[in-house]
Amino acid sequence: MTAMDKPHLIRTSVEAAKEVFARPAYLGLAVAIALAAFLASLWIPNYKLIGAVFITPDVTLDTKLQLLASLLAGISTNFGAFAAFSAATIPLLFGVDIAMLVYFLRRRRARLPHGEIAASVGGAASGVVAAGCAACGSFLLVTILSFLGASGALALLPLQGGELGLLSIALLLLSIFLIARKIAAPVVCEIKPPAQPPGNAPPLEERP
Amino acid sequence: MMLRYFKSSPLGRAAAVLLITGTLAAGNTAAQPNQPSAAPAAADFIQPVTQRDHIRGNPDAPVKIVEFADTECPLCKRFHPTLQRIVAEYPGKVAWVFRHFPLDNIHPKARKEAEATECANDLGGNEKFWAYLDRLYKITPSNNRLDPAELPRIAEYVGLNRAKFEQCLESGKYAQRVAEDLDDALAAGAQGTPYTVVVAPNGRKFAILGAQPYASVKLVVEIALQQKK
Repeated sequence: MTAMDKPHLIRTSVEAAKEVFARPAYLGLAVAIALAAFLASLWIPNYKLIGAVFITPDVTLDTKLQLLASLLAGISTNFGAFAAFSAATIPLLFGVDIAMLVYFLRRRRARLPHGEIAASVGGAASGVVAAGCAACGSFLLVTILSFLGASGALALLPLQGGELGLLSIALLLLSIFLIARKIAAPVVCEIKPPAQPPGNAPPLEERP
Repeated sequence: MMLRYFKSSPLGRAAAVLLITGTLAAGNTAAQPNQPSAAPAAADFIQPVTQRDHIRGNPDAPVKIVEFADTECPLCKRFHPTLQRIVAEYPGKVAWVFRHFPLDNIHPKARKEAEATECANDLGGNEKFWAYLDRLYKITPSNNRLDPAELPRIAEYVGLNRAKFEQCLESGKYAQRVAEDLDDALAAGAQGTPYTVVVAPNGRKFAILGAQPYASVKLVVEIALQQKK
């Protein structure tokens, strides 16, 4: 592969995304996953409240739905500007990532490549940790750091643990790029160029 | 067999990572020093509201809002005006009860600030407790950034004797009181702050985690008011 052939990070990702999301089914899948992840990040921290209201007798369905809708405004009251950005971006990237993974797997009928799955799972997992904060101290990170006896370090971080949101975004972007590169790669066998002068050339080798 | 699947398949490894993350997330509690490590998950174990509590509004109000908060938590600072508005809009119907839940591992200054509010209560009663708390929330930059030198200044600002306040704060006489509130918070299922339990007249409890919007809190208060004894 020459320098000219090296995949351009953004161009490759955009081309692959165009290919995937030109199909309404994958666009729908990405939107559905992103929406589900976004709603979950705002509702799950208050599952006890939602559960209590939903099982309380005489509370109308309208009131229950109003509560669910009102909790969505928590994105502005429960998060700072940076955390709100992460809370909105992570579900979006997660939806795009999963839709592209599904497209790749269905098209190639291939096994999931290790790098892609690692970045994808890492992005999602750190997203869970980062988005787990709907209240001070509810970070999963705090628990982990407490266990390690290093929770005081959190107070020293400039974003008070919001760095995990950045990590999550970076991992999801990496995962999307890795999948995009796979999608953009031609579905043909590449012939390895001869390494020796003609005459002593070894037999042509195919690699997928 | 299952273990072999987790080890051999990339999907299996991914599932294992998500399983571990989910398990950790489900068991996520704000662990505190000298506190029980496992807290009940429901708000059913909350201590009843008594004269010992700091109450804003009518103490005999049918609905009690018990807030567990940390004075250095930015979300508690943001949530404070929400509860001020709720109490103002439901005169006689809602009582706001404040209990301490300082998160030592991320806000080491919060415990002493909690003791400072108790000293304000000691020297000036319930009215000064709330005046002190309002002022503290107003001036703290949050996230453990309030200069401790501000604590006696706040006492002076709300009309307390500075020397007596400093003497009270240095004695640590309210450390136990703060620790008891913290125990109550953990027993009530608090996993972070602000943690607010709305108690209906029939004893039904609605636990709110985080600085939820005014509309959500108002809706929960309305539901609680409908729950007759």
